[in-house]
Amino acid sequence: MRKIDKKKADQYFKIRTTLIVVFLAIGFLVSFGVAAFADVILETGATIMGMPAHYYMGAQGAVATFVILLFLNAVISDRIDKKFGIDEKQNVKLSGGGADH
Amino acid sequence: MDQQAIVSLILILLTFALYIGISIYNRAKATSDFYVASRGIPPFWNGMAIGGDWMSAASFIGMAGTVMILGYDGLAYIMGWTGGYLLLTFLLAPQLRKYGRFTVPEFIGDRFDSNPARLIAAIATIIISFTYIIGQLSGSGVVIGRILNLPASTGVMIGVVVIAIYATLGGMKGVTWTQVAQYMILITAYIIPIVFLSLQITGNPLPWLTYGNIVNELGAIDQELGLSEYFAPFDESNRAQFLALLFTLMVGTAALPHVIVRFYTVTTMKAARWSGAWALLFIALLYLSAPAYAAFSRFVIMTEVVGSPIDDLPAWTEPWLNTGLLQIADTDGDGVLSWEDLVIHQDIVVMATPEIANLGMFVVGLIAAGAMAAALSTAGGLLITISSSFAHDIYYRLLKPDATDSKRLLAGRIAIVLATVAAGVVALDPPGVITQIIAWAFALAGGTFFPVLFLGVWWKRMNRQGAIAGMLGGLTVTLTYIFMSMAGITLFGIQDTGAGLFGVTANLVLCIIVSLMTPPPEQRLQDEAVDLRYPEQMTYKDGEVWINDEQAK
Repeated sequence: MRKIDKKKADQYFKIRTTLIVVFLAIGFLVSFGVAAFADVILETGATIMGMPAHYYMGAQGAVATFVILLFLNAVISDRIDKKFGIDEKQNVKLSGGGADH
Repeated sequence: MDQQAIVSLILILLTFALYIGISIYNRAKATSDFYVASRGIPPFWNGMAIGGDWMSAASFIGMAGTVMILGYDGLAYIMGWTGGYLLLTFLLAPQLRKYGRFTVPEFIGDRFDSNPARLIAAIATIIISFTYIIGQLSGSGVVIGRILNLPASTGVMIGVVVIAIYATLGGMKGVTWTQVAQYMILITAYIIPIVFLSLQITGNPLPWLTYGNIVNELGAIDQELGLSEYFAPFDESNRAQFLALLFTLMVGTAALPHVIVRFYTVTTMKAARWSGAWALLFIALLYLSAPAYAAFSRFVIMTEVVGSPIDDLPAWTEPWLNTGLLQIADTDGDGVLSWEDLVIHQDIVVMATPEIANLGMFVVGLIAAGAMAAALSTAGGLLITISSSFAHDIYYRLLKPDATDSKRLLAGRIAIVLATVAAGVVALDPPGVITQIIAWAFALAGGTFFPVLFLGVWWKRMNRQGAIAGMLGGLTVTLTYIFMSMAGITLFGIQDTGAGLFGVTANLVLCIIVSLMTPPPEQRLQDEAVDLRYPEQMTYKDGEVWINDEQAK
């Protein structure tokens, strides 16, 4: 065990939290945002993949966005961990097996 | 027994044999095997197990039918039940994993160092999971009953016996690998029919790309018939109800104890993030297919069934008319079947469409096996959750802290058997419409747990008084709203299925206000909350952060 600068640890937390806020905002927009204005979007006559745009977002667009956001989160978080010198092997060892409690 | 029944039965029995085989092979030997599969499940497979765990009879049998009947308004289920994984993976799962306990009540009890909070959480977990499992058992009863032409109650009993056998034997470890197998079976069973339907209707084998035009055509057909268009928003509800239902389903998904506990089975926070991503990918395969299933099904009915003479109905209608889930009445008395003459129960759409479109016995049998897989995999996960709340949180942590490992395992197994039998008895005569009961479970889970878990992870000042007030207040408000709206009193036109909006808000407000009005928690508990901000390798202690980089052996 060695002590690290608290500022560095706070920086780690700040980057991760910013990432989460941005991703959740996008997820909110494509689901709640589109649904709240579904009737307005229908009136514009816009279509995606051959169906009305609001229907597409509800049936495919939102779900596909969620999946992409989760994978982006997993990949970017791994990069952040690496940048801060976190070693996953060490994490596994520390988190232990089922005998931790 | 006709040929179709024999084919379906053989497929179902083959899959049952597979599940029991897997759970015998992965028999649980220690408590940690039983509850969290020794925390050694790789994220990819854990994601698949979450997919099987998550997708229940409601998703498999009910969702496409709901979208087909409700049109755009049914899409709240598609977005809500997937969006919950964003909240779960971003806000709760990795931190809960680092905290490193066996169950959700254990997190709440230890994080706030309060046995009353632990007890409330354990009881709420049992109520929520029990409500949910009744739906699964009823669902499997409907499938078995339809296929073997047995009463649904006999079907329920058969389902109960199978689930009890493999959940008791395998515990979480066995359940994890059976859930992986069940996911593969249910997703294959769901996608094969829509690939055939897509080929049949559009000539292209990729339903996800082709059904857009069908949706447009359905709109045109509806317009011609003088119905409101298939894709018209808020036709069956209103904007506030749609958004409240979406919110309830999302937040409820993130707070269901049997889903959260699956994230305890992986090794680290990083593995929890990847588990969430894989899980949603596997879940999305079915959820992206359901609107396609719905569109094709409605199209086949509109073009091939509607318009046929009412005294010469196709052969597939007969068994469904017998179950009472399909009703035909010649409302305008012209002897021709019109859309208004058909009363289709949403739960038969997935099972009846392959029959309507003549996809053959094997596909129909596969759907039956898939529906059983969906019901059993969710029931397995729920039983482990009920069992751990009872045997671990109440028996071990509250009543007998000195119980040995083998005693705790035995208590867990007894709890599973009791819970299965009790749920089976209730499911013989379900107290309401299945989809509605399940919607209540979401409102209850969100209203009781989400704010407490969310603030417990992210806000160190949150204390035990806040947690207890939040859980009890959220539960009370949710239940009150459900009963109020059932009696016809609603706010903003929001129905009982959207009750979570009020429960979650009340819970959140109570947690914050009560925590701030009472003394802050001990420094030790605050430090534990701050520690959840960092990966396992970093530890927070007395305002300082330590990193452990001694060579891993």
